[in-house]
Amino acid sequence: MADKKKISDLLLNNAMFIIIALAVIYISVKVPAFLGLPSIVNVLSLTAAKLPIALGIGGCIVLTGTDISAGRVVGLTACISASLLTTAFKVFPEMTSAPPILVVFLMVLVVGAVVGFVNGFSVAKFKLHPFIVTLSTQLIVYGIILMYLKNGTNNGQTLSGLTEGYRSLITGTLFKIGNVAVPMYVLYSAILTVIMWVVWNKTTFGKNMFAVGSNEEAANVSGVNVSRTIIMVFMLAGIMYAITGFLDGARIASANANTGLNYECDAIAACVIGGVSFVGGIGRISGIVIGVLLLQIIFAGLNFLSVDANMLYIIKGLIILIACAIDMRKYLVRK
Amino acid sequence: MAQPEQKEEQQPKPLRGLYDRVNISVKTLNIIIVVLCAILIACMAFGISNRGYDVTFDTLGGTSVESQIRMYGELVEAPAAPSREGYEFEGWYLDEGLTRPWNLGQDTITGSITLYAGWKEK
Repeated sequence: MADKKKISDLLLNNAMFIIIALAVIYISVKVPAFLGLPSIVNVLSLTAAKLPIALGIGGCIVLTGTDISAGRVVGLTACISASLLTTAFKVFPEMTSAPPILVVFLMVLVVGAVVGFVNGFSVAKFKLHPFIVTLSTQLIVYGIILMYLKNGTNNGQTLSGLTEGYRSLITGTLFKIGNVAVPMYVLYSAILTVIMWVVWNKTTFGKNMFAVGSNEEAANVSGVNVSRTIIMVFMLAGIMYAITGFLDGARIASANANTGLNYECDAIAACVIGGVSFVGGIGRISGIVIGVLLLQIIFAGLNFLSVDANMLYIIKGLIILIACAIDMRKYLVRK
Repeated sequence: MAQPEQKEEQQPKPLRGLYDRVNISVKTLNIIIVVLCAILIACMAFGISNRGYDVTFDTLGGTSVESQIRMYGELVEAPAAPSREGYEFEGWYLDEGLTRPWNLGQDTITGSITLYAGWKEK
Protein backbone atom coordinates (compact mmCIF):
# COMPACT_ATOMS: atom_id res chain seq x y z
CA MET A 1 0.00 0.00 0.00
CA ALA A 2 2.80 2.37 0.95
CA ASP A 3 4.64 1.42 -2.22
CA LYS A 4 1.59 2.18 -4.29
CA LYS A 5 1.31 5.60 -2.69
CA LYS A 6 4.99 6.24 -3.33
CA ILE A 7 4.59 5.41 -7.00
CA SER A 8 1.54 7.63 -7.44
CA ASP A 9 3.37 10.43 -5.60
CA LEU A 10 6.30 10.04 -7.94
CA LEU A 11 4.05 10.03 -11.00
CA LEU A 12 2.09 13.10 -9.90
CA ASN A 13 5.11 15.13 -8.82
CA ASN A 14 6.82 14.47 -12.13
CA ALA A 15 3.71 14.53 -14.33
CA MET A 16 5.04 17.48 -16.32
CA PHE A 17 8.35 15.80 -17.09
CA ILE A 18 6.58 12.58 -18.09
CA ILE A 19 4.26 14.39 -20.50
CA ILE A 20 7.14 16.34 -22.05
CA ALA A 21 9.22 13.16 -22.40
CA LEU A 22 6.33 11.34 -24.07
CA ALA A 23 5.73 14.28 -26.40
CA VAL A 24 9.41 14.39 -27.36
CA ILE A 25 9.44 10.65 -28.08
CA TYR A 26 6.30 10.99 -30.20
CA ILE A 27 7.68 13.97 -32.11
CA SER A 28 11.03 12.34 -32.81
CA VAL A 29 9.29 9.22 -34.13
CA LYS A 30 6.98 11.29 -36.31
CA VAL A 31 9.64 13.75 -37.54
CA PRO A 32 13.11 12.16 -37.15
CA ALA A 33 14.75 15.45 -38.20
CA PHE A 34 13.81 16.73 -34.73
CA LEU A 35 16.76 14.79 -33.31
CA GLY A 36 19.07 16.04 -36.05
CA LEU A 37 22.01 18.30 -35.25
CA PRO A 38 20.51 21.52 -36.70
CA SER A 39 17.38 21.05 -34.63
CA ILE A 40 19.33 20.36 -31.42
CA VAL A 41 21.52 23.43 -31.95
CA ASN A 42 18.35 25.43 -32.66
CA VAL A 43 16.80 24.34 -29.36
CA LEU A 44 20.02 25.14 -27.49
CA SER A 45 20.23 28.60 -29.06
CA LEU A 46 16.59 29.33 -28.26
CA THR A 47 17.23 28.21 -24.70
CA ALA A 48 20.21 30.54 -24.48
CA ALA A 49 18.12 33.42 -25.83
CA LYS A 50 15.34 32.91 -23.27
CA LEU A 51 17.60 32.10 -20.33
CA PRO A 52 18.59 35.58 -19.08
CA ILE A 53 14.99 36.74 -18.62
CA ALA A 54 14.14 33.55 -16.72
CA LEU A 55 17.19 33.99 -14.48
CA GLY A 56 15.95 37.51 -13.69
CA ILE A 57 12.36 36.52 -13.00
CA GLY A 58 13.55 33.58 -10.87
CA GLY A 59 14.77 36.06 -8.24
CA CYS A 60 11.38 37.77 -8.11
CA ILE A 61 9.64 34.42 -7.67
CA VAL A 62 12.02 33.46 -4.86
CA LEU A 63 10.72 36.61 -3.12
CA THR A 64 7.20 35.10 -3.44
CA GLY A 65 6.52 37.67 -6.12
CA THR A 66 6.55 37.71 -9.87
CA ASP A 67 7.24 40.21 -12.61
CA ILE A 68 4.91 40.59 -15.57
CA SER A 69 6.63 43.70 -16.92
CA ALA A 70 9.58 41.58 -18.06
CA GLY A 71 8.50 41.03 -21.66
CA ARG A 72 7.84 44.70 -22.29
CA VAL A 73 11.22 45.69 -20.82
CA VAL A 74 12.78 43.23 -23.27
CA GLY A 75 10.82 44.94 -26.03
CA LEU A 76 11.85 48.45 -24.99
CA THR A 77 15.53 47.59 -24.68
CA ALA A 78 15.46 45.71 -28.00
CA CYS A 79 13.89 48.77 -29.67
CA ILE A 80 16.45 51.13 -28.13
CA SER A 81 19.32 48.89 -29.26
CA ALA A 82 17.87 48.46 -32.74
CA SER A 83 17.17 52.18 -33.15
CA LEU A 84 20.71 53.23 -32.24
CA LEU A 85 22.86 50.41 -33.63
CA THR A 86 21.48 50.75 -37.12
CA THR A 87 22.42 52.09 -40.50
CA ALA A 88 19.06 53.76 -41.10
CA PHE A 89 18.36 56.23 -38.30
CA LYS A 90 14.60 56.43 -38.55
CA VAL A 91 13.94 57.13 -34.89
CA PHE A 92 16.68 59.74 -34.62
CA PRO A 93 16.94 61.19 -38.15
CA GLU A 94 19.58 63.73 -37.10
CA MET A 95 22.08 60.99 -36.20
CA THR A 96 24.59 59.95 -38.81
CA SER A 97 26.66 57.19 -37.25
CA ALA A 98 25.94 54.51 -34.67
CA PRO A 99 27.31 55.07 -31.14
CA PRO A 100 29.78 52.50 -29.74
CA ILE A 101 28.09 49.19 -28.95
CA LEU A 102 29.29 49.30 -25.34
CA VAL A 103 27.62 52.69 -24.78
CA VAL A 104 24.29 51.38 -26.08
CA PHE A 105 24.67 48.24 -23.99
CA LEU A 106 25.26 50.23 -20.81
CA MET A 107 22.34 52.49 -21.73
CA VAL A 108 19.88 49.62 -22.00
CA LEU A 109 21.20 48.17 -18.73
CA VAL A 110 20.36 51.49 -17.07
CA VAL A 111 16.88 51.48 -18.62
CA GLY A 112 16.28 47.94 -17.33
CA ALA A 113 17.62 48.83 -13.90
CA VAL A 114 15.38 51.92 -13.67
CA VAL A 115 12.23 49.91 -14.43
CA GLY A 116 13.44 47.29 -11.96
CA PHE A 117 13.98 50.00 -9.35
CA VAL A 118 10.43 51.31 -9.78
CA ASN A 119 9.10 47.76 -9.42
CA GLY A 120 11.29 46.96 -6.43
CA PHE A 121 10.69 50.26 -4.67
CA SER A 122 6.91 49.95 -4.97
CA VAL A 123 6.97 46.35 -3.75
CA ALA A 124 9.33 47.06 -0.86
CA LYS A 125 8.00 50.39 0.36
CA PHE A 126 4.34 50.47 -0.60
CA LYS A 127 3.97 46.76 0.17
CA LEU A 128 1.99 46.35 -3.02
CA HIS A 129 1.69 42.93 -4.54
CA PRO A 130 4.24 42.53 -7.35
CA PHE A 131 1.41 41.56 -9.72
CA ILE A 132 -0.16 45.02 -9.44
CA VAL A 133 3.11 46.92 -9.52
CA THR A 134 4.53 45.11 -12.50
CA LEU A 135 1.18 45.25 -14.30
CA SER A 136 1.36 49.03 -14.13
CA THR A 137 5.00 49.20 -15.20
CA GLN A 138 4.19 46.75 -18.01
CA LEU A 139 1.57 49.16 -19.36
CA ILE A 140 3.78 52.21 -18.86
CA VAL A 141 6.72 50.56 -20.63
CA TYR A 142 4.44 49.48 -23.49
CA GLY A 143 3.27 53.06 -23.90
CA ILE A 144 6.87 54.24 -23.94
CA ILE A 145 7.76 51.66 -26.63
CA LEU A 146 4.89 52.80 -28.86
CA MET A 147 5.80 56.47 -28.44
CA TYR A 148 9.49 55.75 -28.95
CA LEU A 149 8.72 53.98 -32.23
CA LYS A 150 6.63 56.99 -33.39
CA ASN A 151 9.68 59.20 -32.95
CA GLY A 152 11.44 60.72 -35.95
CA THR A 153 10.42 59.40 -39.33
CA ASN A 154 9.82 55.86 -38.11
CA ASN A 155 6.04 56.15 -37.58
CA GLY A 156 5.71 52.98 -35.53
CA GLN A 157 7.36 50.72 -38.10
CA THR A 158 9.59 47.73 -37.41
CA LEU A 159 13.22 48.71 -36.84
CA SER A 160 15.74 46.87 -38.95
CA GLY A 161 18.95 47.44 -40.89
CA LEU A 162 21.17 46.80 -37.88
CA THR A 163 24.90 47.46 -38.04
CA GLU A 164 27.19 44.60 -38.95
CA GLY A 165 29.19 45.02 -35.74
CA TYR A 166 26.13 44.60 -33.51
CA ARG A 167 24.81 41.62 -35.44
CA SER A 168 28.11 39.76 -35.60
CA LEU A 169 28.80 40.40 -31.92
CA ILE A 170 25.59 38.58 -30.98
CA THR A 171 24.85 36.15 -33.80
CA GLY A 172 28.39 35.57 -35.09
CA THR A 173 29.68 32.01 -35.05
CA LEU A 174 31.04 30.88 -31.70
CA PHE A 175 32.11 27.49 -33.05
CA LYS A 176 30.80 24.92 -35.48
CA ILE A 177 29.54 21.42 -34.82
CA GLY A 178 29.66 19.75 -38.20
CA ASN A 179 28.23 22.42 -40.47
CA VAL A 180 25.96 23.88 -37.87
CA ALA A 181 27.08 27.20 -36.42
CA VAL A 182 26.52 27.87 -32.72
CA PRO A 183 25.86 31.60 -32.27
CA MET A 184 27.84 33.84 -29.91
CA TYR A 185 24.90 34.60 -27.61
CA VAL A 186 25.04 31.01 -26.34
CA LEU A 187 28.37 31.93 -24.76
CA TYR A 188 26.94 35.15 -23.24
CA SER A 189 24.04 33.21 -21.78
CA ALA A 190 26.41 30.66 -20.28
CA ILE A 191 28.46 33.45 -18.69
CA LEU A 192 25.30 35.06 -17.27
CA THR A 193 24.21 31.72 -15.85
CA VAL A 194 27.55 31.33 -14.04
CA ILE A 195 27.35 34.90 -12.73
CA MET A 196 23.79 34.39 -11.48
CA TRP A 197 24.79 31.09 -9.86
CA VAL A 198 27.54 32.89 -7.95
CA VAL A 199 25.17 35.73 -7.01
CA TRP A 200 22.49 33.34 -5.75
CA ASN A 201 24.74 30.92 -3.92
CA LYS A 202 27.94 32.64 -2.89
CA THR A 203 27.07 36.25 -2.03
CA THR A 204 25.45 37.82 1.01
CA PHE A 205 22.92 39.39 -1.33
CA GLY A 206 21.90 35.95 -2.57
CA LYS A 207 21.56 34.57 0.95
CA ASN A 208 19.53 37.62 1.97
CA MET A 209 17.27 37.09 -1.03
CA PHE A 210 16.46 33.54 0.05
CA ALA A 211 16.02 34.66 3.66
CA VAL A 212 13.55 37.40 2.67
CA GLY A 213 11.78 34.98 0.34
CA SER A 214 11.30 32.28 2.94
CA ASN A 215 10.30 34.57 5.81
CA GLU A 216 10.37 38.33 5.58
CA GLU A 217 9.82 38.99 9.28
CA ALA A 218 12.48 36.55 10.38
CA ALA A 219 14.93 38.04 7.87
CA ASN A 220 14.17 41.53 9.20
CA VAL A 221 14.68 40.40 12.80
CA SER A 222 18.02 38.82 11.97
CA GLY A 223 19.27 42.09 10.53
CA VAL A 224 18.68 41.76 6.80
CA ASN A 225 17.76 45.03 5.10
CA VAL A 226 14.55 43.69 3.56
CA SER A 227 13.66 46.73 1.45
CA ARG A 228 17.11 47.01 -0.05
CA THR A 229 17.19 43.30 -0.85
CA ILE A 230 13.82 43.46 -2.61
CA ILE A 231 14.79 46.56 -4.61
CA MET A 232 18.10 44.97 -5.62
CA VAL A 233 16.44 41.72 -6.72
CA PHE A 234 14.04 43.62 -8.97
CA MET A 235 16.85 45.82 -10.32
CA LEU A 236 18.98 42.78 -11.07
CA ALA A 237 15.97 41.25 -12.81
CA GLY A 238 15.52 44.45 -14.84
CA ILE A 239 19.15 44.28 -15.92
CA MET A 240 18.66 40.68 -17.03
CA TYR A 241 15.63 41.69 -19.12
CA ALA A 242 17.71 44.47 -20.67
CA ILE A 243 20.38 41.96 -21.64
CA THR A 244 17.68 39.71 -23.13
CA GLY A 245 16.41 42.67 -25.15
CA PHE A 246 19.89 43.63 -26.30
CA LEU A 247 20.51 40.04 -27.47
CA ASP A 248 17.06 39.72 -29.00
CA GLY A 249 17.35 42.81 -31.18
CA ALA A 250 20.34 41.34 -33.01
CA ARG A 251 19.08 37.75 -32.82
CA ILE A 252 15.80 38.54 -34.61
CA ALA A 253 17.54 41.23 -36.69
CA SER A 254 14.66 43.62 -36.08
CA ALA A 255 12.58 45.05 -33.26
CA ASN A 256 9.04 46.35 -33.06
CA ALA A 257 6.29 46.96 -30.53
CA ASN A 258 5.61 43.22 -30.29
CA THR A 259 9.19 42.21 -29.51
CA GLY A 260 9.27 40.52 -26.12
CA LEU A 261 5.51 40.05 -25.99
CA ASN A 262 4.63 37.27 -23.54
CA TYR A 263 8.27 36.47 -22.80
CA GLU A 264 7.45 36.71 -19.11
CA CYS A 265 4.92 33.87 -19.45
CA ASP A 266 7.59 31.56 -20.84
CA ALA A 267 10.05 32.67 -18.20
CA ILE A 268 7.63 32.22 -15.30
CA ALA A 269 6.56 28.83 -16.64
CA ALA A 270 10.20 27.78 -16.99
CA CYS A 271 10.95 28.81 -13.41
CA VAL A 272 7.96 26.96 -11.96
CA ILE A 273 8.73 23.83 -13.97
CA GLY A 274 12.34 24.14 -12.78
CA GLY A 275 11.27 24.07 -9.15
CA VAL A 276 11.41 27.76 -8.25
CA SER A 277 8.44 27.73 -5.93
CA PHE A 278 5.80 30.39 -5.40
CA VAL A 279 6.03 29.43 -1.73
CA GLY A 280 9.13 31.62 -1.68
CA GLY A 281 12.74 31.09 -0.70
CA ILE A 282 13.08 27.98 -2.84
CA GLY A 283 14.80 27.70 -6.18
CA ARG A 284 18.01 26.84 -7.95
CA ILE A 285 19.74 28.20 -11.02
CA SER A 286 20.13 24.68 -12.41
CA GLY A 287 16.37 24.24 -12.10
CA ILE A 288 15.74 27.39 -14.14
CA VAL A 289 18.12 26.22 -16.87
CA ILE A 290 16.36 22.85 -17.05
CA GLY A 291 12.94 24.56 -17.05
CA VAL A 292 13.84 26.85 -19.96
CA LEU A 293 15.39 23.95 -21.86
CA LEU A 294 12.34 21.69 -21.39
CA LEU A 295 9.95 24.41 -22.53
CA GLN A 296 12.03 25.16 -25.62
CA ILE A 297 12.24 21.44 -26.45
CA ILE A 298 8.48 21.00 -26.29
CA PHE A 299 7.73 24.18 -28.26
CA ALA A 300 10.39 23.53 -30.88
CA GLY A 301 8.94 20.03 -31.21
CA LEU A 302 5.37 21.24 -31.62
CA ASN A 303 6.65 23.81 -34.11
CA PHE A 304 8.30 20.97 -36.04
CA LEU A 305 4.92 19.26 -36.17
CA SER A 306 3.42 22.50 -37.54
CA VAL A 307 1.04 22.86 -34.60
CA ASP A 308 -0.92 26.10 -34.84
CA ALA A 309 0.54 28.98 -32.84
CA ASN A 310 -2.87 29.71 -31.32
CA MET A 311 -2.97 26.24 -29.80
CA LEU A 312 0.53 26.79 -28.40
CA TYR A 313 -0.85 29.60 -26.21
CA ILE A 314 -3.40 27.23 -24.70
CA ILE A 315 -0.72 24.58 -24.17
CA LYS A 316 1.55 27.15 -22.52
CA GLY A 317 -1.22 28.25 -20.18
CA LEU A 318 -1.99 24.67 -19.21
CA ILE A 319 1.67 23.95 -18.57
CA ILE A 320 1.86 26.89 -16.15
CA LEU A 321 -1.34 25.76 -14.41
CA ILE A 322 -0.12 22.17 -14.05
CA ALA A 323 3.32 23.26 -12.88
CA CYS A 324 1.70 25.43 -10.18
CA ALA A 325 -0.66 22.65 -9.12
CA ILE A 326 2.26 20.23 -8.78
CA ASP A 327 4.31 22.83 -6.92
CA MET A 328 1.38 23.41 -4.56
CA ARG A 329 0.90 19.69 -4.08
CA LYS A 330 4.51 19.19 -3.00
CA TYR A 331 4.05 21.66 -0.16
CA LEU A 332 0.59 20.48 0.84
CA VAL A 333 1.96 16.96 1.17
CA ARG A 334 4.81 18.21 3.36
CA LYS A 335 2.26 19.91 5.62
CA MET B 1 12.45 49.91 13.78
CA ALA B 2 12.63 46.18 14.16
CA GLN B 3 10.98 44.91 17.31
CA PRO B 4 12.44 41.50 17.97
CA GLU B 5 10.73 41.15 21.35
CA GLN B 6 7.37 41.15 19.62
CA LYS B 7 8.24 38.05 17.66
CA GLU B 8 5.48 35.64 18.46
CA GLU B 9 6.14 32.01 19.18
CA GLN B 10 3.60 30.81 16.68
CA GLN B 11 3.38 27.59 14.76
CA PRO B 12 5.44 27.84 11.59
CA LYS B 13 3.14 28.44 8.65
CA PRO B 14 3.91 25.78 6.08
CA LEU B 15 2.43 27.70 3.17
CA ARG B 16 3.40 31.18 2.23
CA GLY B 17 3.74 33.31 -0.81
CA LEU B 18 1.07 32.91 -3.43
CA TYR B 19 -0.19 29.76 -1.71
CA ASP B 20 -0.84 31.07 1.76
CA ARG B 21 -4.59 30.91 1.29
CA VAL B 22 -4.66 27.58 -0.48
CA ASN B 23 -7.72 25.75 0.73
CA ILE B 24 -7.76 22.39 -0.92
CA SER B 25 -7.02 18.81 0.04
CA VAL B 26 -4.21 16.81 -1.50
CA LYS B 27 -6.74 14.34 -2.84
CA THR B 28 -8.68 16.99 -4.76
CA LEU B 29 -5.43 18.48 -5.99
CA ASN B 30 -4.36 15.06 -7.30
CA ILE B 31 -7.57 14.82 -9.30
CA ILE B 32 -7.08 18.35 -10.63
CA ILE B 33 -3.51 17.56 -11.73
CA VAL B 34 -4.64 14.40 -13.52
CA VAL B 35 -7.52 16.23 -15.23
CA LEU B 36 -5.27 19.12 -16.29
CA CYS B 37 -2.69 16.69 -17.67
CA ALA B 38 -5.45 14.96 -19.63
CA ILE B 39 -6.58 18.32 -21.05
CA LEU B 40 -2.98 19.18 -21.94
CA ILE B 41 -2.51 15.89 -23.77
CA ALA B 42 -5.87 16.37 -25.52
CA CYS B 43 -4.82 19.87 -26.64
CA MET B 44 -1.52 18.56 -27.99
CA ALA B 45 -3.33 15.74 -29.79
CA PHE B 46 -5.84 18.20 -31.23
CA GLY B 47 -3.03 20.54 -32.32
CA ILE B 48 -1.14 17.67 -33.94
CA SER B 49 -4.20 16.32 -35.74
CA ASN B 50 -4.92 19.79 -37.16
CA ARG B 51 -1.34 20.46 -38.05
CA GLY B 52 -0.27 22.85 -40.75
CA TYR B 53 0.45 26.55 -41.00
CA ASP B 54 -1.81 28.91 -42.88
CA VAL B 55 -0.25 30.95 -45.63
CA THR B 56 -2.65 33.73 -46.57
CA PHE B 57 -2.19 36.23 -49.34
CA ASP B 58 -3.23 39.87 -49.04
CA THR B 59 -3.23 41.32 -52.53
CA LEU B 60 -3.84 44.87 -51.26
CA GLY B 61 -6.53 45.64 -53.81
CA GLY B 62 -5.67 43.10 -56.49
CA THR B 63 -7.52 39.91 -57.45
CA SER B 64 -7.70 37.48 -54.55
CA VAL B 65 -5.31 34.56 -54.16
CA GLU B 66 -6.32 31.34 -52.41
CA SER B 67 -4.66 30.64 -49.07
CA GLN B 68 -2.54 27.51 -48.53
CA ILE B 69 -1.76 25.13 -45.71
CA ARG B 70 1.89 24.14 -45.45
CA MET B 71 4.01 22.13 -43.02
CA TYR B 72 7.06 23.31 -41.11
CA GLY B 73 10.11 23.64 -43.33
CA GLU B 74 8.20 23.53 -46.62
CA LEU B 75 8.25 26.09 -49.40
CA VAL B 76 5.19 28.13 -50.30
CA GLU B 77 3.69 26.86 -53.54
CA ALA B 78 3.98 29.66 -56.05
CA PRO B 79 0.45 31.02 -56.60
CA ALA B 80 -0.75 32.49 -59.89
CA ALA B 81 0.20 36.16 -59.92
CA PRO B 82 -2.72 38.44 -58.99
CA SER B 83 -3.67 41.34 -61.19
CA ARG B 84 -4.80 44.86 -60.45
CA GLU B 85 -5.87 47.54 -62.79
CA GLY B 86 -3.21 50.10 -63.60
CA TYR B 87 -0.53 48.22 -61.67
CA GLU B 88 2.07 45.58 -62.34
CA PHE B 89 2.67 42.77 -59.80
CA GLU B 90 6.24 42.62 -58.56
CA GLY B 91 6.30 39.94 -55.87
CA TRP B 92 5.27 38.92 -52.36
CA TYR B 93 6.37 40.61 -49.15
CA LEU B 94 6.25 39.60 -45.49
CA ASP B 95 5.07 42.99 -44.26
CA GLU B 96 2.54 45.54 -45.40
CA GLY B 97 5.31 48.12 -45.67
CA LEU B 98 6.83 45.93 -48.43
CA THR B 99 10.32 46.00 -46.94
CA ARG B 100 10.97 42.26 -46.50
CA PRO B 101 10.53 40.32 -49.75
CA TRP B 102 9.56 36.63 -49.62
CA ASN B 103 11.63 34.39 -51.86
CA LEU B 104 9.23 31.68 -53.05
CA GLY B 105 12.04 29.40 -54.17
CA GLN B 106 14.07 29.62 -50.97
CA ASP B 107 12.21 30.81 -47.85
CA THR B 108 10.69 28.02 -45.79
CA ILE B 109 7.69 28.12 -43.49
CA THR B 110 8.22 28.24 -39.70
CA GLY B 111 4.78 29.53 -38.74
CA SER B 112 1.54 30.98 -40.07
CA ILE B 113 2.22 33.97 -42.32
CA THR B 114 0.45 36.52 -44.45
CA LEU B 115 2.14 37.60 -47.64
CA TYR B 116 1.42 41.02 -49.14
CA ALA B 117 1.47 41.78 -52.83
CA GLY B 118 3.86 44.43 -54.09
CA TRP B 119 2.54 46.63 -56.90
CA LYS B 120 4.29 48.98 -59.29
CA GLU B 121 2.32 51.63 -61.16
CA LYS B 122 2.23 50.94 -64.87
